Amino acid sequence: MQQAGVGIGIQGVWKRRLPWWGEVLVRLVRTKPLGLTGAIILLLMLFAAAFAEVITPYGYAETNLSDRFAGYSRAHWLGADHLGRDLFTRIVYGARISLSVGFAAVVIASVVALLIGVPSAYLGGRTDLVVQRFVDAWMAFPGLLILLTVLSLTGPGLVQITVVLGISSGIGNSRVIRGVALSIKENQYIEAARAIGANPLRIMLVHVVPNTMATVIVLATIGLGVIILTEASLSFLGYGVPPPHPTWGGMLSLEGLRYMYDAPWMAIWPGVALSLAVFAFNMFGDALRDLLDPRLRGAG
Amino acid sequence: MRQYILRRCLYMVPTLFVVTVVVFLMLRFLPGDVVHQMLEGYAYAPTVEALRRELGLDKPLLVQYGTWLADIFRGDLGHSLWTKQPLLQEFARRFPVTLELAILTLLVSVVLGVGIGVLSAVRQDSWADYSGRVFAILMLAIPPFWLAVLVVVLPSIYLQWTPVWTYVPFTQDPLENLKIMSIPALVFGLTRAGPIMRIMRSAMLEVMRQDYIRTAWSKGLAEQVIITRHALKNALIPVVSIIGIQMPFLIGGSVIIESIFRLPGVGQFFFEALIRRDYPTVQGINLILATFVVLLNLVVDISYAYLDPRIRYR
Repeated sequence: MQQAGVGIGIQGVWKRRLPWWGEVLVRLVRTKPLGLTGAIILLLMLFAAAFAEVITPYGYAETNLSDRFAGYSRAHWLGADHLGRDLFTRIVYGARISLSVGFAAVVIASVVALLIGVPSAYLGGRTDLVVQRFVDAWMAFPGLLILLTVLSLTGPGLVQITVVLGISSGIGNSRVIRGVALSIKENQYIEAARAIGANPLRIMLVHVVPNTMATVIVLATIGLGVIILTEASLSFLGYGVPPPHPTWGGMLSLEGLRYMYDAPWMAIWPGVALSLAVFAFNMFGDALRDLLDPRLRGAG
Repeated sequence: MRQYILRRCLYMVPTLFVVTVVVFLMLRFLPGDVVHQMLEGYAYAPTVEALRRELGLDKPLLVQYGTWLADIFRGDLGHSLWTKQPLLQEFARRFPVTLELAILTLLVSVVLGVGIGVLSAVRQDSWADYSGRVFAILMLAIPPFWLAVLVVVLPSIYLQWTPVWTYVPFTQDPLENLKIMSIPALVFGLTRAGPIMRIMRSAMLEVMRQDYIRTAWSKGLAEQVIITRHALKNALIPVVSIIGIQMPFLIGGSVIIESIFRLPGVGQFFFEALIRRDYPTVQGINLILATFVVLLNLVVDISYAYLDPRIRYR
């Protein structure tokens, strides 16, 4: 952080012309090597997920029984599974599912966090007291158990798991957003807006919400890793995204576990991909937090 | 201090009340009817209405909630739909296993987290710091269930060493019990050390910059004395609060660890109930564990206030 401060002083003249995200990018490259590594890994994964058809030599459901349990070879870089499906192909397609679930859930989480956190802080008083007790109660539940309970009732599915993960993570994040909104509320421009007769909804939407964006972005980046990991845990327990979609957690649990002794690679590589993605998100998220919102340090 | 504890206890009441409301409503409002589940293939009663009446589900929602709450106050948390066994008894039998796993996991993660965190802070921006931080984030990224699977499978494939995972209660043979529990606790603890390490590092960095530490240095005290006796004691305070936050994760994550290592804990009990769609059991376990977490957070908050007197005046 100290280095970043010096940087602003020296390059203040030309830096002012950059948009805020440009500034963050420059500081990320200059001062956060670990965060930059995370960002590069993530870009590569996003690229692979987007162009899976071009990158992979097979289809994700393409079976080839003569290649059952094939080891590492030129034809199958990471081996093949019990149906002769190429593991590399399935991992790349798995990135598509995991990242889509992660990103969609994080968007839902951000909206939920804002919807709960901002009014709770701005309206204060009894509303805040009641809303926060609900948040307290939700946070008291052991995370995975409550998610399993809800998913067992809604049934498994791509949409269900995304919505459930998004909402539950959003409720947790709302506490942080509330804290930020409480401090924004004390600013003079809020008082000024109130003085000219702006209604609470307008103040919240136009003045409070835009100022929480740095925190929202940081929470989203850090939350992505957690959400992907949770999705994998749920898939591992059989409550995740159902087949035939290849997901990293599902590949580990359903097929990976059963054939682990014949083909250990089936259990190893999806786990490596999963860890790498979460690792990259955490690194990138930490760096972003330092750059955008140092107040949150230690919150994750 | 007494006033603070009293106030914290009072805050707990509405939270626990809301916990019961959330648990109750969630299982009533979400799609998926218990009654249909029980009739399909199991024929617990001749008709849907009969079973509904038998389970008391035909009454208004408020009455159902009231009955449930009144039962809870009498210490009756309900019965399993399938076995008709009282839930509390079943729970009490399995809880020690989960609690032991949680405590051992916590121990592993605190020892690792505090150790690496202190080293990282004291040798800031050195190789030790960087490798410590990478290790912590890496461990945070590794799914515990994957690490557990690797620990179980890899030795048996490559070293032909297959440990026997038969659970022995602590009261029966403490040594054997610890031998069995140590590997799941180590695996789980490793993956939970990250957050503690990060809090420890940042708290330690903050404390090390305080005036009284500079005074200690200028007095010529040995580094070890400054770190352990002066800095660590104060830097440990935020770690206490993170332990409270970790608890729901520890208990939630135990579902997975218990099912991989075949430990007869609450996690496995819960999972079986879920598969059989035994909702009173699922509901009861959620309630008990949430209450446990709320109580634990109370203890953590009180010890936090005890350790750092400034908290009370907030």
